[in-house]
Amino acid sequence: MPAGLLNGIRVLDLGSGISGPWCAKILADYGAEVIKVESPGSGDAARRMGPFAGDDPDPEKSLTFLYLNTNKKGVTLDPSSASGRRLLDRLLAEADVLVENYPPARSKELGLDYASLAEVNPQVVVTSITPFGQTGPYRDYQATDIVTYALSGLMYHSGDSDQEPLRNVLDQSFYVAGITAAAATQVALFARLTSGEGQHVDVSAAECLGAHLVQPLPYYNYMGAVKGRRPVRGAGFEELMPARDGYVAPSVQGSQPWSTIASLIGPEELQDEKFATAAGRVAHGEELKELLIKGLAQWDRMPLFLASGEQRLVFGMAQDAGDLAHCPHLEARDFFVEVDHPVVGRARYPGMAVRLPGETITGSQPAPLLGQHNSEIFGRELGYSTQDLVSLRQQGVI
Amino acid sequence: MLPAPKYQSPLKNIRVLDLSRVFAMPFAGANLADLGAEVIKIDTCQAQFMDTTRTLTGPFPDNRPGELWWEQGGTFQNLNRGKRSLTLDLRSEESQKIIKELVRVCDVVLENFTPRVMARFGLDFKSLQAEKPDLVMVSNTGYGHSGPWSSFGAMASALEPTHGTGAFMGYMEEGADGRLAEGQVPNKMGNSYSDFLATWTALGALMAALLRRARTGEGQWIDLAMYQTGTTVIGTGVLDFVFNQRRTQRIGNRHPFWSPHGVYPCQGHDQWVSIAARHEGDWQAVCQAMDMPELASDPRFADPIDRRQHQEELDEIIAAWTSARTSYQAMDSLQEAGAPAGAVLTAKQTLTDPQYLDRGFFETVHNPPEVGLRPKGYVGRGWKFSKSKAEIRGPAPRLGEANDYVLGELLGIDPARLETFAEDWTIGNLPEGGRAPGAVPLDEQVELGWIAEYHADYLDRLPPV
Repeated sequence: MPAGLLNGIRVLDLGSGISGPWCAKILADYGAEVIKVESPGSGDAARRMGPFAGDDPDPEKSLTFLYLNTNKKGVTLDPSSASGRRLLDRLLAEADVLVENYPPARSKELGLDYASLAEVNPQVVVTSITPFGQTGPYRDYQATDIVTYALSGLMYHSGDSDQEPLRNVLDQSFYVAGITAAAATQVALFARLTSGEGQHVDVSAAECLGAHLVQPLPYYNYMGAVKGRRPVRGAGFEELMPARDGYVAPSVQGSQPWSTIASLIGPEELQDEKFATAAGRVAHGEELKELLIKGLAQWDRMPLFLASGEQRLVFGMAQDAGDLAHCPHLEARDFFVEVDHPVVGRARYPGMAVRLPGETITGSQPAPLLGQHNSEIFGRELGYSTQDLVSLRQQGVI
Repeated sequence: MLPAPKYQSPLKNIRVLDLSRVFAMPFAGANLADLGAEVIKIDTCQAQFMDTTRTLTGPFPDNRPGELWWEQGGTFQNLNRGKRSLTLDLRSEESQKIIKELVRVCDVVLENFTPRVMARFGLDFKSLQAEKPDLVMVSNTGYGHSGPWSSFGAMASALEPTHGTGAFMGYMEEGADGRLAEGQVPNKMGNSYSDFLATWTALGALMAALLRRARTGEGQWIDLAMYQTGTTVIGTGVLDFVFNQRRTQRIGNRHPFWSPHGVYPCQGHDQWVSIAARHEGDWQAVCQAMDMPELASDPRFADPIDRRQHQEELDEIIAAWTSARTSYQAMDSLQEAGAPAGAVLTAKQTLTDPQYLDRGFFETVHNPPEVGLRPKGYVGRGWKFSKSKAEIRGPAPRLGEANDYVLGELLGIDPARLETFAEDWTIGNLPEGGRAPGAVPLDEQVELGWIAEYHADYLDRLPPV
C-alpha cells in the first residue's frame, strides 16, 4: 500500500520510457490512483530497454519498466482509432491528471495536445514532459539523454578537466524531469482548488537541469568566468581517492579541526600545521596527496565512513549497486519494498525518495503486464461487456 | 514566448518559514516564492553562523566583494530570490520562542539542520506541530532522522558517490588489448547534484502534503534523506544487481546498446557536440549529415553490434568531421538530417542559446542600487504553466529587511521588546564579526583549475537584460 497523501487523485499515465512514467510513479507512491495507458502490441518503450531480469529481453522483464511502473494499473488502447479514442475520453473524463511525453508534433497528430484534451475535461491537469518543451526552435529536435544533458549546460561541468565532458548516470535528465514534473503537476492541482480549472504544465527536461546552474551561471554573468570541470590536480580532498577495497571521498568540510581529520586518516606527518589551512593545502598539495594515499591504503571504505561520521566529519564512499541493495541504513529506514511480479517473481525494489512518518507503506503492487487491467477498468468501471472487450481486442484497439 | 499567464500565483496564500541553509532547501524555498508563497528566510547577524552562500560561496560582482558583500553572492541571489529576511539567533531562548510564534502563522517549515541541532533548539517537528497541528515540514538531511547513520553530517560532493552514482559513471580505460574497456574509477557529476535532487523531491513531497491538508486538515512531516533520494534515481541499476548481480557499469559516454554515442570535439577551446544514434534511422541520418554515404554501407558499421566493435575507428571518423565545425554547426547539420545531437553548452553559451532565449528561461532581477549588482539573468524553472503564474518575484532579501514586518506586523511584538533584541545583535541589518571573503584573482583561478577561462569583456558578450 502506498502513502495516502494523494488519495482520490486519478492519473492517466500516457508516458513512455522514463520521464512520464517516473513522474506518474511518484504520484502513485504518494497515493494517487494511476492508470497506465499503453499501445496494444508494443506497449511502453521502456519494455524494450535493457537491462532485463535474467538478461532475457522479454517485454515483461525490463528492469526500467518494472521499476518505474509499480503501483499502477495497466490498460491498452490505440488512441488513433475511433473506438480507442472513445475509451480514452471516458477515462479522461474521470481523471485529474494526464501525464504524457510524446514529442510535441506527435501529440498534436494524435489529438492528445492540451487543447483537444481540455475539450473533453477542462478540469484536467495535463503534464507534458519533453526534452526541450512545447515551444521554441528546439521543440522538434531529436533528443536522447546525452543530448538533453549537453544542451542544458550541465554536462560541460561533469567529469575531469583534462578529459571530455562525461555523461551522468542512467538517463538522469529524464529522472530529474520526472521528479520536477511531479512537483509542478501537484502545484497545478493546488491551483485548481481555487480556480476550479485544469491547465497545461509544459516541462522541459533541459530546463529542469538548467535550473541547476545556480553556480556556473553567476560565475559568468557576475564576473565573466567559465566554470569548468573538476581539476585533476587537487590535493585529494573532495575527490574520489583509493582506499583498500574501493574509493572514498575524504572531505575537509564541516566544523571539525584539521587535527581530527588528520588523526582519522592516519600518517603522523599529516598533523603538520602547514596542512591546517585551505591555502596551506593548496601550497603543499602534492605532499598532502601522497600522505592521504598512504593513510587511506590502511582503510576499507565502510569503517572509514562510519568513523568519519561518528567524528562529525563528512566523508563519503563510492558504493555500487550491490552495496546499496544491502545497505543497513536504508534497511533500517524501511526503504526497500517487497514486490511480487507474476513473471519475474518476488524481489526487493528501491522505495520512496522520502520517509513519511505516520504513513503506513506496506509493499508495492508490481508493474502491470501489458493490458493486465483491461477487463477491470474497461469492463467493471466503464461498463463494457465481455463481448465488447473481445470485439475491441479483435480490432486491435486494446 | 508563451502567452502571459492569465491567473494568479498558485501558492499566494501559503507562508513558508525557511530555516534552511546552503543549496537544497533554500532553493526549494526560492521556487515556492516564485509560485507566490511568502517565504521568510531566517537569517542571523552573527557572521560565523550565517548561511555560507551569503559569506563564502560567491561569486561576487567582477570578483570583488563590495561594501555589502553579504548581499552580493551570485549563488545566494539565485537560491534566495523573492524571499523576506528575518534575523534571529537560534541559540537564544527568546529567538526560539519567536520561531514558535511564527510557526503558528506559517503553513510550511523548511530546515536542513542535523537531527540533534533542531532537538537542541527545541524546534523539532513534534515541538513545532504542538504550535501548529496542520504543519507541513520538510527536514532535509544527509541520512535522515532514522537509521544508524542519522547523526552523520553530509554534503553533496561526498554524498554523490555514497548514493551510488559513481558506480555508473566513469571514463573508460585502456584494456590489455590496447582498446578501451570499462573503467575502474568512479567519477562524479559534481555541481552539487544531490542537492538539486533534494530540491525537486522536497517540492513534490510538500505539495502532496499541502494537497492532503486541503482535503483533510492533516499536517505532515517529511523526513528527506539525500542519500535515500539519490538512490531512487538509479533504481534500474539497483535492480540490475538484484536480478543480475551486476554492480557497476562505467563506459564513459558510450551507451550499452546504441552506437555511435558520445561527445566529439569541435572548433574552439573545449567545445563538444553530443551525438546519439538510437536505431538504423538515426545512423543513416548521421551519415547523411556528414555527407558520407560510403559509411552507411561500410560493413564495419552495418549494425550497432558492428559499430560497437569498431567504435574507436568510427569515433575517429566522426571526430574528424566535427572538428572542422563549431558545436552549433555540427548540431544543426545533424538535427537537420534528423539525428539526435546537441552542443555541449557552457553556462556562458546557455545565456545566448536560442532555445533558452525563446522560452525566457533566464529571468532578469533588479536589485536596489545600493546593493551594487547590475540587473542580471537568474535561472528559471523547468516547467511553464498555461494559466498559473510562476516567476522570480524579486531579488534575494537584504539581511533583516523584514524584521519590522515579521516581528511587528505579523507577530505584533511590543517595540520595547524589539529594542533589547537589537542591542545583542539578534535583530539588525549588518553582520556582526566576519569580513568579506578574499577573492582569488581570476588568472590564479585558471592556474588552479577552479575555472576554465574568463572573459574580461563578458558584459559585451551577454544579451541585453
